Amino acid sequence: MMFGFEKGTTQVSLSMPPADVTDIAADSTQAGPRPQPIWERILRRTGRAVIVAFWVMVVAFMLIRLAPGDPVSAALGGEASPETVAALRTQLGLDVDPITQFWKYLWAFTQGDLGSSLLSGVPVTEMLKTNLPVTLWLIAITVTMTMIVSIPLAVFIALVRIPALPYVFRTLTAIGLALPSFLVALLLLYQFGLIWGIAPIFGYEPGFPANLHYLWLPALVNCVVLVPVLSRVLYSSILDTLDEEFVETGVIRGVKSYRFFWFYVLRPSLAPTVVLLSYMMGVMVGSTVILESIFALPGIGRELVTAVSMRDYPVVQGIILVFGVLVVFLSLLGDIVASLLDPRVKLT
Amino acid sequence: MSTATVTESPSEVLVEIRDLVIGIQRTRADRLILVDSADFDIRRGEILGLVGESGSGKTMVCRSLIGTLKRRSATIFGGTIMFDGMDLAKIDERRWRSVRGNRIGYVPQSALTGPNPVMTIGGQLVEAVRCNRNRTERDARKRAMELLDLVHIRRPEVVYDQYPFQLSGGMRQRVMIAAALAQDPDIILADEPTTGLDVTVQAEIMKLLREIRTEFNMSVVLVSHDLALIDDVCDRLVVMHGGTCVEVGSVKEVAQNPKHPYTIALNRARIELATPGTQLITIRGNPPGVGEWPSGCRFSERCEFVQDDCRVGASPPLLEVESNHWSACIHAGELGAASE
Repeated sequence: MMFGFEKGTTQVSLSMPPADVTDIAADSTQAGPRPQPIWERILRRTGRAVIVAFWVMVVAFMLIRLAPGDPVSAALGGEASPETVAALRTQLGLDVDPITQFWKYLWAFTQGDLGSSLLSGVPVTEMLKTNLPVTLWLIAITVTMTMIVSIPLAVFIALVRIPALPYVFRTLTAIGLALPSFLVALLLLYQFGLIWGIAPIFGYEPGFPANLHYLWLPALVNCVVLVPVLSRVLYSSILDTLDEEFVETGVIRGVKSYRFFWFYVLRPSLAPTVVLLSYMMGVMVGSTVILESIFALPGIGRELVTAVSMRDYPVVQGIILVFGVLVVFLSLLGDIVASLLDPRVKLT
Repeated sequence: MSTATVTESPSEVLVEIRDLVIGIQRTRADRLILVDSADFDIRRGEILGLVGESGSGKTMVCRSLIGTLKRRSATIFGGTIMFDGMDLAKIDERRWRSVRGNRIGYVPQSALTGPNPVMTIGGQLVEAVRCNRNRTERDARKRAMELLDLVHIRRPEVVYDQYPFQLSGGMRQRVMIAAALAQDPDIILADEPTTGLDVTVQAEIMKLLREIRTEFNMSVVLVSHDLALIDDVCDRLVVMHGGTCVEVGSVKEVAQNPKHPYTIALNRARIELATPGTQLITIRGNPPGVGEWPSGCRFSERCEFVQDDCRVGASPPLLEVESNHWSACIHAGELGAASE
């Protein structure tokens, strides 16, 4: 299946040595091997994340330098004298070859220094300290809202057997899926912000309960895309689960309804949804760039747009690195949660 | 070979199924009948085989004995299932809770999807042990260990904390049998319990079921379409075709002296009797589809001994043609000569 989630792919006694029929204790009575402890698998995944982060650094460093123009021409324009240009290049450390620049950058990175903005002189780490929380909050609120809407919705559609309901559900989710998020953002901003005046059009206030006021609408925009995907996946995986035989076993055992709902319906169905959500969040990290620009949120996404147009190399590199780490971390988190929910999911 | 000794002196009848009709209510006026006039007994301590092609209704009959027809949106429209003074065809969900799991155990079809994948073996067994009963956690754990031991699982303390995906198919099915035994039921229903298991494991599971039958004097209802398997482990046999029981009798009787053309045809089509190099013998035609049953005998379209009176009227009922041997063929008396 997709996303490395292997449901029910289990090899049954294929590797069995030929056994005498009369020997009852041959194989089907032996305990299987113990799995690796979970922390060991988490450690291995973290190790791989570090390698990914390194390559993200390399690619970000190269890509921004491959783009036409550089910070000097962006700052001085085309009219500056060659002497001024040369002086600025030396000052910014751009007069040496890119490989040397990279090693310098990497060395500074190991000291916890991501360089400073070429334009404002503010250290990138400082900039991330103020801007990253905005983006992280946006992601956190998006995940929470998506789960709060998707899970009950999918459960309701799957368990309440109203014949027309699944069709309505499929149609509406298809529409939700087809809408581009920047359009949804503009429409919702117009409706909620301008017409109804219940959401701020721009601005931000740090700190948890206060920022909710500014972040709920952008998070809602994300939900319009995420909820259809997730509720559909969860819906179909609940239907699959209900068809499985162990559900009948639960009925026969007379398992209490709340226990039944959790252990026999929801938990066996959740893993694909959780894994998918974590991957979708990786995609959403990219879309925060658009959302933060539209909603004028001081997150790292909007910062990235400015930095790219000004060829502010250290800022671009820093933010792309953070994005990369974020994507890897989110998918690791998704896999861990999925494997805690469903032991069949392997953390590889 | 078959242990037909139990049937020599008919023992206590545990369950009496009479004229059972099962179907799906599609609209208010439209009923799709899946099983009609299922008619047989389950006796104490016997292994009863329920055989038939797909769509013959054997699974539905099995589900009606455990009260989970509703899950398949089917209902009982008529007939009785008498068990210990109760009519299982009519009791409500609340009464069912005291019967299913407690008095009638169930071993699911597939070893792969039978156990709950997100619960440990121990957790599931404890659940089965505590089924509608007040037992302390420690008590239940002790009983669960006993059960694992009973089904010959080595190192039960290791298996207890494992998840189903860590076990082989055979072991999973052993665990499911252990769970079915949890409440010391009178009857165990096993709906094709060896689907997806290889032949050696299949034999082990069958051996286990027989052992359990002998040890606890339980009845086992074994649903299968594997005649060789039924021969080996069952005492009596119910042959189903097109939603009806066509022949009921001891395995020995039915194998040596079949009294229904369908059983005769089944016996002849057995793969282990085939002569190498010759074409395999099959039963002509397809089993009649649900809702497309012909009038008269439902096997009439495929029967090689068919006569004109076979095709008229209602589906013929089971008649005792010999002592403890029933057939639904109206020409059962003439078959002996014809099948030679």
